[in-house]
Amino acid sequence: MKKRLSLIVSVTTMLALMTAACGGANEPSSNGGSGNAGGEKAKITVWHNFSGDDLRAKAVRELIENYKTNNPNVEVDAQAIPVDGYRQRLSTVAAANEMPDVFFVYAGSQSQEFYDAGLLQPITELADENPDWKNNFMEGAFDRFSFEEGQIYSAPLAMSATSFLYYNKDLFDANGVTVPTTWTELMAAVKTFNDKGITPIALGNKAPWVAQSTIIGSLADRVTGTEWFLKAVKGDGASFTDPQFVEALSKFKELVDNKAFQEGANSIDNTQAEQYFVQGKAAMMVSGAWTLTNLAASATDEQIAPIEVTTLPAIEGGAGAAGTISGGAGGGFALSKKTTGAAKDAALDLIYAVSGPDGQKAIAESNSMVMYKMELDESKVSPLYFKAFNLAKESGITPVYDAYLSAEAGEAINNGLQGLMMGDKPEDIAKKLQDAQVRSTQQ
Amino acid sequence: MPASLRSKSFVVLALLPALLIFLVFAIIPIFWSAYYGFFDWKGLGAAKFIGLNNYEMMLQDPIFWRALKNNLILVASAIIGQVPIALLLALLLLKNSWFNRLLRSAVFLPMVLSTVVVGLIWGYIYHPQIGLLNQVLEVLGLDSWTRAWLDDPKINMFAVSIPINWANIGPYLIIFIAALQNISSEIGDAAKIDGAIGWRKLFYVTLPIIWGTVVVTIVLCISGSLKAFDHVIVMTGGGPAQSTELLATYMYNNSFTIYRYGYGSAVSTMIILISALLIGLNYIITKRRG
Repeated sequence: MKKRLSLIVSVTTMLALMTAACGGANEPSSNGGSGNAGGEKAKITVWHNFSGDDLRAKAVRELIENYKTNNPNVEVDAQAIPVDGYRQRLSTVAAANEMPDVFFVYAGSQSQEFYDAGLLQPITELADENPDWKNNFMEGAFDRFSFEEGQIYSAPLAMSATSFLYYNKDLFDANGVTVPTTWTELMAAVKTFNDKGITPIALGNKAPWVAQSTIIGSLADRVTGTEWFLKAVKGDGASFTDPQFVEALSKFKELVDNKAFQEGANSIDNTQAEQYFVQGKAAMMVSGAWTLTNLAASATDEQIAPIEVTTLPAIEGGAGAAGTISGGAGGGFALSKKTTGAAKDAALDLIYAVSGPDGQKAIAESNSMVMYKMELDESKVSPLYFKAFNLAKESGITPVYDAYLSAEAGEAINNGLQGLMMGDKPEDIAKKLQDAQVRSTQQ
Repeated sequence: MPASLRSKSFVVLALLPALLIFLVFAIIPIFWSAYYGFFDWKGLGAAKFIGLNNYEMMLQDPIFWRALKNNLILVASAIIGQVPIALLLALLLLKNSWFNRLLRSAVFLPMVLSTVVVGLIWGYIYHPQIGLLNQVLEVLGLDSWTRAWLDDPKINMFAVSIPINWANIGPYLIIFIAALQNISSEIGDAAKIDGAIGWRKLFYVTLPIIWGTVVVTIVLCISGSLKAFDHVIVMTGGGPAQSTELLATYMYNNSFTIYRYGYGSAVSTMIILISALLIGLNYIITKRRG
């Protein structure tokens, strides 16, 4: 028994070391050889999480394949790692300082941690060579990738818009409900739908980031304003125990208490909630742009036809602007600090092949949001995506909570929202979040 | 060459490669991890020595105690669930008819399935809207019994423990059948002559003979329940709001979700200490019986 147990424990703790060892074995060849030797093949390793069956993942994989075909002199070892395990895989190789040459990195705390650990090198020269490309990005696209003045470390492949309010127009019409533009109207709609036996809002919060990412970021911003949030993150004159944030959490609790979400929302996942919504069993769903992609891949045209998209309603008396969605630059490909010579040139070319104008267009046409300005051809994308793309272009963008909070604080608010749904008090959740943010940003 | 086989040095030599691998991948990491447990370390960057602070924080964290409690619920459910059910099934399915063989395979089947599959299947059985369990209850007119089984913190730990028990009965069934088949038929005949049949035979003849096997299965139950991780990760991820957190998921979430590697290492060391404690207790109890 001792053996069995120690094996289990060690397997978990050794995961880091073992993956690191595997990564190490591939590594040396990428840096080896002189960059000038004409016939020599540059070899680069690429890690990304575009492993799924969705259109965007396919589009990105195709971009990488195209790069391989166009550059026969570069040997590309591209690994598509499932999204669920990607963060962990990357953290484990990061702990051993054995990064792949090119890797997909999330905007926000992950890229910041990698930068702080000295694992990244800038890709600014790409922007210098292609100024038009850089200037075409939307405002704020490089905010999370500019760790020092005048340098960029990645270019976003996506805009993570996380808080669209999707609604089923047929259900609204059939029950005489108008699309809510204020909190009061929303609560009235919740009541009407509940009376008719229809779930007002579909939510799948088993993976606990969902409620945080889709609802609380936008909802709290309406109450507290963006400025307060950025101060609270830094602990600079604001704290998550402030009354306005407790008020924001109370708004979420108000939704829970009025049975806005279907029963058991904490035990089903986001995809199941999407299915529930698209089958017409729920009137609304607050979700990110990923829902567009998922619906395009799995729902029938008939199911999608009544679905419309708007922003969360305004909150009367709140400090934040109405008509905004939470979001920001999504992740992008980054370059390992250890990659040099011919491998570095090849790596930069690959990053441009995926994140450049053609790449951005291909990704946008796979019904995915990008941070890149372009005229979208309506005939090439789904109607719902076309609406959302234009909505996002007009709306202001407010921060997503877990992109700014430390990992530990993000976990605290994620679990806290599940707790709120199970009867915890907003004050206690606010305190836990504040404590976690302070503890993890002190050192 | 039997002579060289018998020599101790050859045995040591033959065991060396396996032992070396075991040492490098199992024993050394335990000490390594225990060492990290004394640091405040994010997995990246510099580690700061903080002595026993991690352990102090752990003992003050209500989630740690909840995880320990949940693990003990699993241990208890395994001992009072898996062992008697497996024994009962073994007694019923002892004879080697094709029907019994079929049933035995059916009981063993979940063991062969990937735990992820088991987790997903039961996730659908417990699904609050379209779940099989709630639908069956509705058909039976027991609407008031329907609920979100994995969501309600009062019952979700028990809901989680059922699939874990269900999936793990198979091996115990095999062990018990093997033990029962080892009882020689003369003992059965003698018992019959002495008038020991039915329950009487079970408690005074059969059980005492296979008691050693029962003890082994209990030990396996304890170790199996303490290492429980995969079913829970798939079904609930330790949630909602950490209500089904186990020691292993608690350790995993701390190390790999919020990057508290030092703290996670301290938790994994704690798991070893707790297992050692339970093993010790078990040793004392079984020794007294012997």
